Amino acid sequence: MRIGVYVCHCGLNIAGVLEPSALAEFAKTLPGVEVARDLQFTCSDTGQDTIKEDIAEQKLESIVVAACSPRLHEPTFRRVISEAGLNPFMLEMANIREQCSWVHMDEPPQAQEKAKDLIRMAVAKATLLNPLHGETMPVSREVLVIGGGVAGIQASLDLADCGLHVHLVERRPTIGGYMALLTDVFPTNDCSICVLAPKMTDVYNHPLIDLVTYAEILNIEGSVGRFTVSGVKKARFVDEKLCKGCLNECAGVCPVEVPDDYEFGLGKRKAIYMPIPQAVPLVACIDTSACIGCGLCAEACPVDAIKYDQRQEDFRFDVGAIIVATGWQSFDPARKEEYGYGRYRDVISALQVERLLNAAGPTGGEVVRPSTGEVAKSVAFLQCVGSRDETVGNAYCSRVCCMYALKNAQLIKEKYPETEVSIHYIDLRAGGEGYEEFYMRAQRLGINFIRGRVSEVEEVDGSLRVNYEDTLLGGFRSRPYDLVVLSAGLEPNKDADVVGNLLGLAKRPDGFFEIAHPKMRPVEAHIDGVFIAGCASGPKEIQVSIAQGEAAAAKAMRLLLRGELALDPVVAMVDQEKCIGCQLCVETCPSKAISVDKTAFVDEASCKGCGTCAAACPVDAIDMTLFSDEQILAQIRAATAVKGQYPFIVGFLCNWCSYAGADLAGTSRIQYPTNMRAIRVMCAGRVDPAFVLEALKGGADGVLISGCRLGECHYNKGNYQAYQRVQVLRGVLEKVGINPGRVKIIWCAASEGEILAKEVRKFVSELKEMGPAGSELAALRPLEPAGGGS
Amino acid sequence: MKLAYYPGCVARSTGREYEISTLAVCRALGIELAEIDNWNCCGATHVSNEVVSTALAARNLVRTDLPVMTSCSICYSRLRAAMIRLKDRHMRKRVNEALEKKYDGEKEVLHVIETITRALAGAEDQDPGDLIVRPLAGLKAAPYYGCLLTRPGGGIDSPENPSILEDLIRTLGAEPTDFRLKMKCCCGPIFMPEEEAAAETLIRILRNARASGADFVVALCPLCHLMLDANQPLLEKKLGEEIDLPILYVTQMAGLALGLAPEELGMEMNSVSTRPVLEKLEKIEGKKAEEEGAEVC
Repeated sequence: MRIGVYVCHCGLNIAGVLEPSALAEFAKTLPGVEVARDLQFTCSDTGQDTIKEDIAEQKLESIVVAACSPRLHEPTFRRVISEAGLNPFMLEMANIREQCSWVHMDEPPQAQEKAKDLIRMAVAKATLLNPLHGETMPVSREVLVIGGGVAGIQASLDLADCGLHVHLVERRPTIGGYMALLTDVFPTNDCSICVLAPKMTDVYNHPLIDLVTYAEILNIEGSVGRFTVSGVKKARFVDEKLCKGCLNECAGVCPVEVPDDYEFGLGKRKAIYMPIPQAVPLVACIDTSACIGCGLCAEACPVDAIKYDQRQEDFRFDVGAIIVATGWQSFDPARKEEYGYGRYRDVISALQVERLLNAAGPTGGEVVRPSTGEVAKSVAFLQCVGSRDETVGNAYCSRVCCMYALKNAQLIKEKYPETEVSIHYIDLRAGGEGYEEFYMRAQRLGINFIRGRVSEVEEVDGSLRVNYEDTLLGGFRSRPYDLVVLSAGLEPNKDADVVGNLLGLAKRPDGFFEIAHPKMRPVEAHIDGVFIAGCASGPKEIQVSIAQGEAAAAKAMRLLLRGELALDPVVAMVDQEKCIGCQLCVETCPSKAISVDKTAFVDEASCKGCGTCAAACPVDAIDMTLFSDEQILAQIRAATAVKGQYPFIVGFLCNWCSYAGADLAGTSRIQYPTNMRAIRVMCAGRVDPAFVLEALKGGADGVLISGCRLGECHYNKGNYQAYQRVQVLRGVLEKVGINPGRVKIIWCAASEGEILAKEVRKFVSELKEMGPAGSELAALRPLEPAGGGS
Repeated sequence: MKLAYYPGCVARSTGREYEISTLAVCRALGIELAEIDNWNCCGATHVSNEVVSTALAARNLVRTDLPVMTSCSICYSRLRAAMIRLKDRHMRKRVNEALEKKYDGEKEVLHVIETITRALAGAEDQDPGDLIVRPLAGLKAAPYYGCLLTRPGGGIDSPENPSILEDLIRTLGAEPTDFRLKMKCCCGPIFMPEEEAAAETLIRILRNARASGADFVVALCPLCHLMLDANQPLLEKKLGEEIDLPILYVTQMAGLALGLAPEELGMEMNSVSTRPVLEKLEKIEGKKAEEEGAEVC
């Protein structure tokens, strides 16, 4: 391999501490190095041109740039060398600025030695680089949207308007979700269905949207760009094409009445029913659990749309991306038994009061006491029912309850100014555009705000009493009310578990689907090609759900619009000869990219290149195309070749957090000892115990592994796996008599340069106490007589 | 069936009739009780010190290999709470430092209502009807739980809305009333420092029980019984009206249905006379016998 090494001065950023010309001279002595130069600004046009010229003239095959962090200029130099005709992956950078000259400003001689090691390590890796080719894969330009609530509706419309074909699959007989059942919505108090219904109709009429209602998804196979989805469309026993949606005819004659699930049990519906007047599709449905088969509806139907012999239909289609918009379900307020929901008729849920307030609801918009049918003269809203309550296992805030209670309280107060309305809250959360003003409006309307979690609701002699501690006035109080409304929280939709399991979606401790990054990737799942929108990933108000539907649609478009997918060539590969089919890698892979049929197979389109599988493989059958075992081992050997310092540390830093954290220590000029030689890996989970052993074997006094903070891994659980491996390895080291403290694992976020510096300082002093590597072994063995008895 | 019997302090003081009726009922159900040897306080007297309280309960539990039965809801709750605390390794270590015989794991702890319910339900070779020789048909009972039978949660029934006592009342032939304040605290723990507040609540409870149409209230805890029964004359005086609502222990009610004589159940020891209950039962039985007699003729 003919290698060129370019040592950057970066003005005085590097040259102020190190001697680039001496480093270049040093580089020339390394095997394979044909050219070594020091350049003022390697990233400048002149610097770039020098590299290009050398590649052409010296026929260089691989390039090492010793300069700033690869996180800054790796893309630049990859472009430079590819312009000169090299494969862009024939580049390695030695980070002598952020991780050397900037953090060792007071120790130039030691820093110079460290820089030499870093260059030696980079050259060792450069010798083993292989050209990699990013392939492209044709993808399906169709998208599956699961769930026809407002988030799914918005996503479908945006996708279809951009020319992608959408399959919108909904479990219930109509789309619209919970939003279709709400009365007016905050913070503007506009009518919910009035703003939603046009979108629902648009979905129905859009030529590129395939609407499948009353359906279940049963299987999803494949990966990004080529998922195959199958399921069934349940029989509604009404011909969708024939039914005119008149409803009066069939439901009018149906003799069976059951509680209306769309009224949350407040009203009644018939066994043949239309979920809501604005249902899309506007087709009746027979509830087989209620129907007695009398046949009256079939006789009554003017268009003969009723088909008792209708069967469920299977469906199957291919899509390139999937948007999960499976929504939420209400916390069951009966679980808070002390509030008497289900025992006392006048204790109702927030969704029920939405229906009472709705002009199309069971009472035509009158807020009445279910026990008497009379208008309630006093109404209490009890907040945080099933939210922020660890006794029911929900520690989280449901985010919308404060606002919907404020809204419903206002609606009641406006309609019945004489009615006394109180909100019993523990904290009032009104963060959002116009929300605080909305809260103030409620105060001006004369709504009572009482702070303190309600302890119980009693019903004595037919009237309700709410007992509570008023934490503002101090003291226990009791108030009678006609109607008590429980502001039940939002829980993960249990019906979505099937889809979650089929896709392998991760769940947070609160039970909602986990997004790829809690901040930076709000609508992406851990699985490539899968996006999450709306309440499936946690409680959200309508406007945020819509924004997420739009965002998920944009992400899906970005993925599929070009019709092909560029694959990242940094992936895992399996040596079929070595693989024993143990499936350990399948369990380890955070992207579900590996499947095993006798031997393991890596789906390159799904693999994100973290390398955790390669570290887990018990027979070394898996390796990475870049950051390969061979390359990392070569870096370790190069690092420990001289060991010009004591104690000597080999570090493994994960690319996303810890390496970035070390860079930050540099840009912040946080000084720390020069003892560590860091190797960049994509994930802490990539660190194979063999790497640690190689470093110790080479004479390193300690090995430091640093990953993202627990719970923040960019590959979901790689840091946990690293931790587990380190624990096991420590046990082994202890058994053979090596101090397990020589292997240390830490967590450092990209923002925590100070922590990385502190940990290095600490580790150096700990290792000093332990003594040089192997000293503990010498202490174990009795000294053998010298000279073998001569 | 053989059970270890943990009486608790009240059984030997203000709750004599509870113990008498407990022993009588168990005898009638064929349950052998072996009193725990050299038992001590359940820990209720030292709840402010978690370690002492837990150690006291644990010392009782380790004295037997049998399932432990008690009729006192306070003792029952303390014994259960101690076992939950003792799941913690550190607590177990501290407690075992104080114990001669070491605590080595959970035991089955039963309240007498569980024992009765199970015995009636689980009498395999006989119909529970055979045991219930004197069904309490026609009597209305207000089921009063008090606070500790179902706490800590995760025990025999819901801590907020249990139904085990209603079920037993029905099994015995009587009718449970819709007693809304069945879970309200009896105010025993605050009676000394907050007598006024306690009296106010007790009056609410008793009025609600009476308004529910009950002939008597069923109590499961000697402290509840004390507050509703022994206190009743005092409350009547304060109120200036008669309440006159008999408060029966669950074992007294069950004993009657099992055919035991009132004196075997210590019913003369209750503060509020239980005569009206017995008289009503006799009257109903007399009527029934008359009707049946008429049919025979």
